[in-house]
Order: sequence, then C-alpha cells, then structure tokens
Amino acid sequence: GKWKNKERILIFSSRGINFRTRHLMQDLRMLMPHSKADTKMDRKDKLFVINEVCEIKNCNKCIYFEAKKKQDLYMWLSNSPHGPSAKFLVQNIHTLAELKMTGNCLKGSRPLLSFDPAFDELPHFALLKELLIQIFSTPRYHPKSQPFVDHVFTFTILDNRIWFRNFQIIEEDAALVEIGPRFVLNLIKIFQGSFGGPTLYENPHYQSPNMHRRVIRSITAAKYREKQQVKDVQKLRKKQPKTILPHDPTADVFVTPAEEKPIEIQWVKPEPKVDLKARKKRIYKRQRKMKQKMNCGNAK
Amino acid sequence: MQEAFSRGLLKPGLNVVLEGPKKAVNDVNGLKQCLAEFKRDLEWVERLDVTLGPVPGIRGPQATSQNKDQKAVDPEDDFQREMNFYSQAQAAVLAVLPRLRQLKVPTKRPTDYFAEMAKSDQQMQKIRQKLQAKQAAMEKSEKAKQLRALRKYGKKVQTEVLQKRQREKAHMMSAIKKYQKGFSDKLDFLEGDQKPVARSTKGGAKGQQMKKGPSAKRRYKNQKFGYGGKKKGSKWNTRESYDDVSSFRAKTAHGKGLKRPGKKGSNKRPGKRTREKMKGRTR
Repeated sequence: GKWKNKERILIFSSRGINFRTRHLMQDLRMLMPHSKADTKMDRKDKLFVINEVCEIKNCNKCIYFEAKKKQDLYMWLSNSPHGPSAKFLVQNIHTLAELKMTGNCLKGSRPLLSFDPAFDELPHFALLKELLIQIFSTPRYHPKSQPFVDHVFTFTILDNRIWFRNFQIIEEDAALVEIGPRFVLNLIKIFQGSFGGPTLYENPHYQSPNMHRRVIRSITAAKYREKQQVKDVQKLRKKQPKTILPHDPTADVFVTPAEEKPIEIQWVKPEPKVDLKARKKRIYKRQRKMKQKMNCGNAK
Repeated sequence: MQEAFSRGLLKPGLNVVLEGPKKAVNDVNGLKQCLAEFKRDLEWVERLDVTLGPVPGIRGPQATSQNKDQKAVDPEDDFQREMNFYSQAQAAVLAVLPRLRQLKVPTKRPTDYFAEMAKSDQQMQKIRQKLQAKQAAMEKSEKAKQLRALRKYGKKVQTEVLQKRQREKAHMMSAIKKYQKGFSDKLDFLEGDQKPVARSTKGGAKGQQMKKGPSAKRRYKNQKFGYGGKKKGSKWNTRESYDDVSSFRAKTAHGKGLKRPGKKGSNKRPGKRTREKMKGRTR
C-alpha cells in the first residue's frame, strides 16, 4: 500500500547526558523507524531553536532529552510548528540491553498502543494521549517498517506518573514477555506552543528533584538539630539544684502489711495429667537402656 | 495589616508573610481547544491504539464484589504493579487481535521470514546463557540438599545394621560357650533367629513401669508431708519437727513392744548363759 501518514520524529538530546540516557535514546530510535537523529544541542541556546532544527530536518514531532546536573533527565515531547508540547521528568530508566528483559521483536515492527482508562478522564491526560499516539505509532507502509504487529507499548497512570512498558506478543492467547526499555514520566507542564507559549496545565503533584533532595537533607538536618536540642535541655536540667523533701510521717498511715494466709497441705494425691507422648518416650528410652545393658552383659 | 493592628487582632511577635497555596494552572478550556485543533483524524489501522483497563478476572473473587472501588494498585508493591501493567497489555492484545485479523494485518511472523531484530543474536545468547546459569545453580543447590538429607539417613541405617550384627555375634558366642561348657546340649542356636527373649523384656519393662510408681522414700514423704507446696524445702525436717519428740515410743525404739500374732514363744532362743545353765540343769 501507499505510505500516507507522514509523521517524522526528531530524537536528540542536549550535552551532558550519561550512558543510560544515551542508550535509552538509541533504543527509542531503533524501535521507531519513523525517527531521525541529530547531534547534541548546546544548552546555552534557547529552546525555540529546536523548532528551526525540526523544520530543517523536515520533522513534525520531537523528542528532546535534556540532562541537568548530570543527575536529572527531562524529556520534551512536542508537535513542532504550532502544536502543544509537554515537559516531563524521567525516572527509573531501564534499557533494552538489560539481561532481565528477555523478549525480542522485529526492528521497525508496528506497535500496539495500550492506554489506561484514566487517560480519558481528565482533559490534560486526553491531550497527552493524543500526543503519545501520534508520536509512538509507526505509520503504515513506512519504508523502514515491518508489516507485523508483534509488540505492545503500555502507558499506565499510577501515582500521578505515566509508566511506560514494552511487551512482546508471543502467543495468540496474549502470552507476553517484556522487551524493554522501561521508564516513568512525571509531568511538569503542558504548553500551548512548541517549546514555549502559554502554560495550559501545571502538575500540582510535581516536586522538582532539587526540592526533593533539599527536603531529604533538611529532614536529616532537623533530626540532628532536635537531638542536640534535647541534649542541651537535659544538661540544663541536671545543673538545676534538686529539692529534697523531708520525710512525711503521715505517708505511712495507710500502710498495712498483707494478711498471712494459712498454709494448706494437700493430703490427697492430685490426679496425674497423663501426657501420653512423654510417657511413651520414657518407656521407650528405658527399654533401650535395658536392651543395651542386656547386650553388654551378653557380650561380656 | 495596619487595619488588623488597629483592631487589636495582631499578636506580639514576628508576623511572617505567608504565601497562599500555589495554584496550579489548569486551563481546561484551553486544553480542550488545543486537543480539538491538534487531533488528526486517522484511521484506527494507522494508530493501533486501545484504551482498556487490566483484565479483571485475574484479580480473583475480590473483583466481583468491589467493581466500583477496585483495589488501588500500590505503586510501591513492585509485583502487583507489574502484574497490573501485564494484565492491561493482555486485555489490549485480546481485544485487538480479532480486529486485526479482520483488517488482514498480520501478527504472526512466518518461520521463514528472517529480518533484523531489535536485539542482536549476541544479546539473546547472553540472555539465554544467564537464564541457563541461574537454572543450573538452582538445580545444583537442590541436589546438594537432597544429598545431605540422604547422607544423614544413610548414616542412621548403617549404625543400626552394625549394632544388629554385633548383637547377633555376641548372642552366638555366648550360646557356643554354653554348649562348650556343657550347660546346654541343645544345638538350637544354630537354627536361625528366634526372638522369644526380646518380647518378654518388652512386656516385662512395661508391666514393671506401671507397678513401681514413686519409690518408697517418695511414698513415705508424701504420707508425712502431703502433696504440693514449695518446690524444694517443704518435705524436709525443720528445727521444730526435729526437737519434737512427742511421737517417740520407747518400746518400739528398743524393739520390744510389737504385738505380732502367730509365732510362739519357743521361737525365742534364750541367751548363751541361760542355755548353759539349762544344759547344766538337765544333765
């Protein structure tokens, strides 16, 4: 058939990414035959330069990885000339090369996209769903694609984040094996324009990684400060003079010794509690001892 | 703030400027408009998207009663979370396959179709080797456990057999010696194993156990001091009981006062002097 759906995705990154991000990017390029690669962009340039790069490469969508502080990875998904764009924080990256992901799929085969029903409930998720569909679905009859549908991408909303998984379809009865990669996207903001423009949505549950680290450090600092304070208070208390009260004779007024109970002797033997197990064990042991004695006697 | 101060509402101390809670931008109309503009009307075949929840049957009997407020998946519980994703993917695949078949989109790769895979053959080899190594290690540990258990059992059996042999040998030797010394002229011991002796000892031991009970000392103490009481000191003499001589009978102490019925006085043999006197008298 004829290739009509002319989607092209530009996948590239900024400088300062680490090995995991680089592998993730390469994996995405391999899984999506309708993608194009580009060199690393210097972070000094403003973001709307990316729109021009996209135009040069004749791409209409973009996935841009931005690494900050060599620790945090941000991902931009955008529709290039006018459309909406979204910024995410990427966490929990596992690449294709991990040995625990045992599945495999054809290079360039078309994926099935599976979404959580929660994507239809809120408007910002609906917009994200449309964006993800347009980016991740391989166009039919694309020259580099394979005609088979043998793997499925799942997007699930859990804990206010989007979880991405890639499964291989082995059997017709839906037996699945994970291929990889896998990552978690934490939405930060959705913009009306591409890499700019008015903010359409801001995620209230999002906490920047800097803030997160700061909170953790302040917790440990607060613990230490509290301990120090408690110690200081104790020191002060020790130094204060203690007041010793004189003995109050009226305190012993109500002290009465306990009554003496008469000693009762049992003259009747109590009924023995028959513990069958213990009795058997005793008998058996005595038997064995006697046998041994007899055998020793015999031997002698 | 000035007004509040004049009304006397402000308390002494530092008054900190608090920011109100940050309001997150949520432009619903803008989002909807953007979506409407951005949407492309593609055929389903181009997009291949499904929106389905996870398969409810897998959850078990809980799903039937709590369909509305389904157990929220705990994101911290790794296994549950991954099973949720897996079942979602499964549901999607099951829903889509008939549709794909209708649209004549192939899903199964024919066996003679060779094409480049996402992971190279080398990578798949590595994965296979790792899995095999894991399995081999597990089997090895299982075998080692079994061997250890077997060795313990084998040792027990071995000691029993050795003991039995020793006993037989001893028995045989004693029987031979008896025959040699002439105590028994029967050659029964040569006729294989019979076990009448063992049975009687078994029976005898059991019977004796039930007859003995507590020893005589124990019985006397039970009679004198009763049952129960403190753990260690209740069946001993005390100073008072020792000094108490009310139960002293002189005749019993010197062995004279016992009134035994039966035996006559002639059993009482007179002393040596008395006997000699008697001898002298009769002669």
